[in-house]
Amino acid sequence: MSASPAPDPSVRPLPPARRAKLIASLALAALIVWSLVTVGIEFDRILDLPRGLAHIFNRMFLENGPEWSFFPDAVGGMVESLQIAWVGTIIGAVLSLPMGLLGAKNVTGGVGSNVMRQVLNAIRAVPEVLLAVIIFIPIVGIGGTASAYAGTLAIGVHSIGTLGKLTAEVVEGIDPGPVEAARAVGGSPAQVQRWGVLPQVMPEIVAFWLYRFEINIRASAILGVVGAGGVGEALQQAMVFGRLERAGIIIIVIIVATILIDTASAWLRRRIIEGSGARRAMGDELAEPSLAGTGAARIDTDAG
Amino acid sequence: MTAATIGQARGRPTRPRRSPWSLVGIGAFLAITWWAASREFGIGFDLVSVFTNLTRGASILAEFFPPNWAYLPRTFEPMLETFQMAVVASALGCGLALPVSFLASRVSTPNFPVLFANRTALNVVRALPDLLYALIFVAAVGIGPLPGILALIFFNIGVTAKLMSETVDGVDPGPIEAANAAGGNRTQVVRWAILPQVLPNYVAYSLYVFELNIRASAVLGIVGAGGIGNNINTARKFFQYDNLSVILIEIFVFVFVIELVSIWLRRRLV
Repeated sequence: MSASPAPDPSVRPLPPARRAKLIASLALAALIVWSLVTVGIEFDRILDLPRGLAHIFNRMFLENGPEWSFFPDAVGGMVESLQIAWVGTIIGAVLSLPMGLLGAKNVTGGVGSNVMRQVLNAIRAVPEVLLAVIIFIPIVGIGGTASAYAGTLAIGVHSIGTLGKLTAEVVEGIDPGPVEAARAVGGSPAQVQRWGVLPQVMPEIVAFWLYRFEINIRASAILGVVGAGGVGEALQQAMVFGRLERAGIIIIVIIVATILIDTASAWLRRRIIEGSGARRAMGDELAEPSLAGTGAARIDTDAG
Repeated sequence: MTAATIGQARGRPTRPRRSPWSLVGIGAFLAITWWAASREFGIGFDLVSVFTNLTRGASILAEFFPPNWAYLPRTFEPMLETFQMAVVASALGCGLALPVSFLASRVSTPNFPVLFANRTALNVVRALPDLLYALIFVAAVGIGPLPGILALIFFNIGVTAKLMSETVDGVDPGPIEAANAAGGNRTQVVRWAILPQVLPNYVAYSLYVFELNIRASAVLGIVGAGGIGNNINTARKFFQYDNLSVILIEIFVFVFVIELVSIWLRRRLV
């Protein structure tokens, strides 16, 4: 019955102990400072940075450039990049769908889904550029259509990893009711997937595919730097030979094309997730559709 | 009345009609795919050559084995540089992205011209890939880890600010109203009403960005921007596939370990 004395109302409660947080913050700060000091940045070169950037910007866009006569070639290269991204995304989408289903615990279960998840993680761990450089360019070669071919395969394979993981995650979050119903009426495993699982997840998965396409455009625009086709090849040449006015027009083409397609794709994704027009009255013309609910926030972080 | 309605409802209900737009969509999808993959207009992609290449590829892939483990010690230093570049760039990039994301959200920046300018700038920053930034910064300050870090910072601002500004858009307006009612100015509202709501997301995004940076910084060296990519470039130029496989395995293990640590941290923090 020894009730603890009532707290004095004039005294504020103490803030909760934060020692663990403090130690973690200090460790993080120490890691950052150590990296900053030992990574070997020459600080006088940072002072050169504004002048260097101004010089480059000037030569790219103001003084000599942009070289408008190269515009058709730049657009041609960008179109090839878009084609690489498109075909690569389709490869990734087609292969990731069954792999993602197999990687979902509520579809495969047990060891099978774990193994598939690890396979997807392994694929995801290697960036496209590395896949192109290390595997596909040595196999397919460079020059003519071979470069674009290597780039397409690199993008396709990397997309399998990210799309497969997201597909598995979405499938794990479905309502089990329709699956049970499909089983109860005697559906085969394939029929259960087709009528119980896919109708629930397809809108979100198609939105992922579109989002991946946007990311793959950025990836395919740079794959040319390592010789895997697209607009990056011309850009690499222009930078190496100091033809900055030509690099300027290529960069303009990349930025404009990327933003245009992002906008179109964002509109399509919103239609797919929200249906036609019904909930468009939410306001803000500027706002891109919120990705938080669709899981695309997760995929965006796989942009590398 | 009702009996007639029920009588009519015999048999299966009719299928809802397909919107003509879905047919247009499917047609457009097939047309674009044919155009992109065709030999005449596109990249000349066909499934037959996948198989011919696979058979050819087997002999080249055989050169990756056995990995030249004697090469491993020489990769430690550039690998450490890659790690340090990722750490520095994540810290600076995510740090800079925080104020930028508040300036790019309707909730914290009601001033339309400022909001519009920030979002447009962010779209441009996001449109350029990391390797392209690396090319530009190598031209501006020369080779080494510095241009790599700068490239990653821009890449990080694009990713983090985009995710964060959307999170800020979705915060609970209650605390903001309360802070306004108590007479807080714009900075105080952001500090006391918005920041506490979005901080867990910010930590999660920053960890993701760090993972991204590990992978991205591994390839930046290919254009001379420091780290292990430099070794990749050398090995591929001299067809040292046994060295390449060592680097590949190393990156693989490294990314995997970082991801495990990151997942563990995220679970503890968020």
